[in-house]
Amino acid sequence: MLARVAENVYWMGRYLERIDDTARLLNATTHMLIDSPEDTRFSWPVLIDVLGEDAKGFIQEGSSSELGVMHYLIAAEDSSASLRHSCAQMRTNARCVREVIPRDFWEEINSLHLFVQSECKVASSRAQRYRMMAQVIRRCQTVVGVTDGTMLRDDTYRLFNIGRHLERADMTTRIMDVLVLQQLTPSDDLQGRRHFQWSSLLNALGASESYRRYYAEEEGTTDVSEFLLTFGAFPRSVAYCLNKIEWEVQTLPHADAVLKALANLRKALDSEPLHTLSTLQMHELIDNVQAGLITLHAALVNEALYAPAA
Amino acid sequence: MSEAIALDPYRPYPECFDELVESSGYARPQALAITRFIMQNGPDELVRRQAELDRTIAAMGISFTVYSDSENIDRAWPLDVVPRTISASDWQRTSDGLKQRLQALNLFINDLYNGQKILKDKVVPSDLVLKSKNFLAPCQGFEPAYKVWANICGTDLVRDGEGNFLVLEDNLRVPSGVSYMLENRTVMKRVFPELFAESTIGPVDDYPVELWNMLASLSPRDDVTPCIVVLTPGIYNSAYFEHSYLAQQMGCPLAQNNDLYVDNDVVYLRTLRGPQRVDVIYRRIDDTFIDPQVFRKDSALGIPGLIGAWRAGNVAIANAPGSGVADDKVVYAFVPEIIRYYLKQEPLIDNVPTYLCMDEKEREHVLANLDKLVVKPANESGGYGILIGPRASEEERARCAASIRENPRNFIAQPTLNLSTAPTLCEEGLEPRHLDLRPFILQGEDVYCTNGGLSRVALRRGSLVVNSSQGGGSKDTWIINHGS
Repeated sequence: MLARVAENVYWMGRYLERIDDTARLLNATTHMLIDSPEDTRFSWPVLIDVLGEDAKGFIQEGSSSELGVMHYLIAAEDSSASLRHSCAQMRTNARCVREVIPRDFWEEINSLHLFVQSECKVASSRAQRYRMMAQVIRRCQTVVGVTDGTMLRDDTYRLFNIGRHLERADMTTRIMDVLVLQQLTPSDDLQGRRHFQWSSLLNALGASESYRRYYAEEEGTTDVSEFLLTFGAFPRSVAYCLNKIEWEVQTLPHADAVLKALANLRKALDSEPLHTLSTLQMHELIDNVQAGLITLHAALVNEALYAPAA
Repeated sequence: MSEAIALDPYRPYPECFDELVESSGYARPQALAITRFIMQNGPDELVRRQAELDRTIAAMGISFTVYSDSENIDRAWPLDVVPRTISASDWQRTSDGLKQRLQALNLFINDLYNGQKILKDKVVPSDLVLKSKNFLAPCQGFEPAYKVWANICGTDLVRDGEGNFLVLEDNLRVPSGVSYMLENRTVMKRVFPELFAESTIGPVDDYPVELWNMLASLSPRDDVTPCIVVLTPGIYNSAYFEHSYLAQQMGCPLAQNNDLYVDNDVVYLRTLRGPQRVDVIYRRIDDTFIDPQVFRKDSALGIPGLIGAWRAGNVAIANAPGSGVADDKVVYAFVPEIIRYYLKQEPLIDNVPTYLCMDEKEREHVLANLDKLVVKPANESGGYGILIGPRASEEERARCAASIRENPRNFIAQPTLNLSTAPTLCEEGLEPRHLDLRPFILQGEDVYCTNGGLSRVALRRGSLVVNSSQGGGSKDTWIINHGS
């Protein structure tokens, strides 16, 4: 496959996963608030921060309310963190590589894009938003299902999966960071709600049931963060994503730099007994993992895809 | 067949041939099924199906690109819900005529670059060809596989008042539109499954396979499965949708110029796994842009050395560079003679009557009848410089007459035609709208013609402009075998 096409397919996978995870995050956050006691103080701009945009500029414009933040993350055309933006990017990537993807795959991506473009403007109430996010998540899963059932297991499929799992590892840590950052925000009575918040996090990642079984069947570790970072049998854990990337990358030529970046990431995760970390240390660890993922991305694009031609 | 169904309250124009109904308003035999459907289900159902069809096109992402529209370069493809029907027996003769025409044109092009016998025999005036900017000197002395230069041809047909198909022009450079013909059918099958169940509608979806086979037959290496690539100028080209569609349907890489390079007269593709040798290039870039070393030095779309690799016989290019020489409106006027000269046959499809201004007698006729004729310059495309006599002002006609006298060789004239119509869903219900037809003909080792083609419709009342970029639409074209 052409190197240019390979990079596009990789980005298409990243955007698709980002859309899925963003929708999960927004839904779980909304859910958490519906269940929360009246006096819960939630720092909305944190959501913008974790999705990689600068929340300070946003707050200065005076719209740090739930409605303002949600609009920014769902419908805003000028925000690179919004669902709408991610969908448009994903469709553009798909349009550039339509010749290598199955027809059903293209149609699902295209209709997801059209759905988000038309629905994002009306998703203002919590109920409407919930319905829309549930639809987005389902449609993302349909796209993945179509690839799973029909796509040739070739370089296109590999790069699509690498993109998805790299983004997923990134988003899992970002979503974890939402809660960690909430705990770093000075507030009274946070301790008592910790358990409640971690269960929202598990919901966001579709992980509640898996975590209960892990808790019941695996010995010793009872920490949610450890489960989400290191438990390789759960498909949204960072460890699972890294394994998947390694599996797919091994078959590419010029994969050395990528494999080295993967090894470094694993080292960072393995070195600490995670359940002993303080909130601040956890935040730092997450930062490190995210920096490692950026290195991994650069190694993939610069070394593996555009290696000098023979 | 005793059944007679009128398409009420639809009334065709008396002076035009209608594709679906006779002048009495009754359905033609090939249009019985669709007419019955419309009459039984009523106008509201037709409107509902059109809405479903529009939704399907949006969901499938079938789009075309308009350069001038910076906000939304990617627009939904316009397809009318009522199909156009042509009887299989009408089509058979037309399709034979199209194949005949392409075979003769290819013999002509090959002769022009090798020996120029037809010029020496004075069947076609030498100046006409040799002074044309589409005659590419670097192509002389070369013979492509099967001596075929234009492997893919899109010929525009219209029907006159009596319903005879006539050729309006041949597109021998990079004809486009075939992907829309294929997608129109896919959409119609989803929207009208019951009609496909009860009629015998000629299939069109073999085209990508026929195209691949034709391209494969050009490969210089017959011991390996050829590597065929589609060459596109990129995502901003107006036909990008089609380039990517055809690559996808054929399972070929879609390459831009930077994805290819030439080494030692061999063309390679830059892939993730290293260089891959290319055997056949289906290029969707104009002739003079494909190799900056030979043609336009300023081309940013070309591949340096490509012409050398082609001349060395290491790669096939379809259509071959230089094939545009026959894509010229004055050459067009000679095609019936070209068919007689090379094939010793009578043309099966006529040209639209054409006056050559280079001929003194015909020129005088044109100058005396400018108010009734359409005048076209020979070497322009995209409708530039055309004079539509009946709609032009006295001044415009005078200016045109002066140009003709100054450079008679550069002009042809044709009568204004009563293009055929078909019922089309408009604001007020079904109304007649003018249309044309572009079938696609392939020639490599074998010759193939599509079952029908792309029908384009002028959506404004009375308009003859069918281009989608100017508000035209399209129709699915059904070749129907309705028995005898």
